[in-house]
Amino acid sequence: MELAATSGSVNLMETKPKIALFQCQWCLYSESDQYWVDNNLPPSIHLTKVSCTGRIDPLHILNAIQGGADGIMISGCLPEKCHFKEGNLSALRQHEEFINLLDYIGYERERIRFVWLDLQDRGRIQQELADFEVTLTKLGSENALVTRIETPVGRLND
Amino acid sequence: MTDLIIKLKTEIKRLFNENIVDVVIAFKKEDSPLRPQPAFFRPNDSLEDLEYNSLCQNNLANYLTKYPHETRIGIVVRGCESRSVNALVVEKQHPRENLYLIGVPCQGIVDFRKLVYQTGEEISGYSENQDEITVIFKGKEYKFDRQSVLHDSCFRCVHPNPVNADVLIGEPLPEGDSSIVRKSVESFEALTKEERYAWFRHEAERCIHCYACREACPMCYCTECFVDHDPPRWTESSVSPAGTQAWHIIRAFHQAGRCTSCGACERACPMDIKMTYMTDKLNEDMLKLYNFESGMDDKTQPPFSSFNLDDKNRFVA
Repeated sequence: MELAATSGSVNLMETKPKIALFQCQWCLYSESDQYWVDNNLPPSIHLTKVSCTGRIDPLHILNAIQGGADGIMISGCLPEKCHFKEGNLSALRQHEEFINLLDYIGYERERIRFVWLDLQDRGRIQQELADFEVTLTKLGSENALVTRIETPVGRLND
Repeated sequence: MTDLIIKLKTEIKRLFNENIVDVVIAFKKEDSPLRPQPAFFRPNDSLEDLEYNSLCQNNLANYLTKYPHETRIGIVVRGCESRSVNALVVEKQHPRENLYLIGVPCQGIVDFRKLVYQTGEEISGYSENQDEITVIFKGKEYKFDRQSVLHDSCFRCVHPNPVNADVLIGEPLPEGDSSIVRKSVESFEALTKEERYAWFRHEAERCIHCYACREACPMCYCTECFVDHDPPRWTESSVSPAGTQAWHIIRAFHQAGRCTSCGACERACPMDIKMTYMTDKLNEDMLKLYNFESGMDDKTQPPFSSFNLDDKNRFVA
């Protein structure tokens, strides 16, 4: 009994929430930030670089959720600063509404977060990710919409 | 034969005689009175079989995208169908000048499932008047109040009159009550998060991936749907929880700002899955955020293709 309790708490301490990070490749203006995201991301964060936030389809987000991500973070450029002039505007309209829909069918909207980065926001992405991790740890794990069955490894053709 | 059908026939004959259209899309009688089928009348065809009553389930705007742009199409439209046509015109699926809309104010579509559940499958006769539906089942007459057997989305209908029709047959009806839609969305929102997800899961898990909802929907005209796309695989298209839930969420989301709440998807579903609770919510959001209602004219672009810099106030930096 005692052993189970301790091992449970140890597990809680050790498992960090899994975050899927969608990053617009133009939004990190400082080179050190981009270097950190490319090379030093903690293993609990899965990076998907996209050419613009407008490239992100709601299906990408849904795929990440179904595959077991505890939270989704989308980082993009501010309006007027989009590399493709208006990609982020279209992204905002779509993703806002998509989150409304997910919330409506029972998925917590706090689990999806936008970060719009500006020129002077050096180092902000690390801060935001840390903040988000704290929020997600508080929320705990989510079962809604996590439906993907993992492909078995080590059978059949392996 | 009702007055309305006679008027429809004379109007369609006039269109053919004056060489205004090449084809008219309407409904025709079938063996079972429960299921009038969509029909495509060419100039020399007999209009003997033409049918129009509250059992016409399909959204005829669905067939517009199947014709080349040069074809001049006459189409019998109810309120929701006319708005679907407008939305398709906005999306450049058919030029408006090659369309002739024969508008019919609609009293609502009768859900044949509601009839069949109360009587039985083998209904041999059907007639209707202003507020009563009469069906004949095994030689016996059954009468129903029209409001009690209307399809759910017709019960919530706000615009029963055709918008932008070239000719209107019959008297315009009073506009519906938009608070009914609000109420149904509100009552769903009032549930807890777990209850909402349980409801969604219960509806989605019955899906057999026949995609009848997609085929019945006038706005689903992509030549290759995201579920058929391969490779890359956008989503699981097997009958697994992940596949069915993804289909239901994304199908609804692709209708955001385009759905006209005709309910053809629900009527087409062989598993009786509810879908309009999602599209109703999306429609309401579009109205609230962008003051946009799909298909109310044939000029205004839907919100997702008309984004602008005014949105920047909503960027939370």
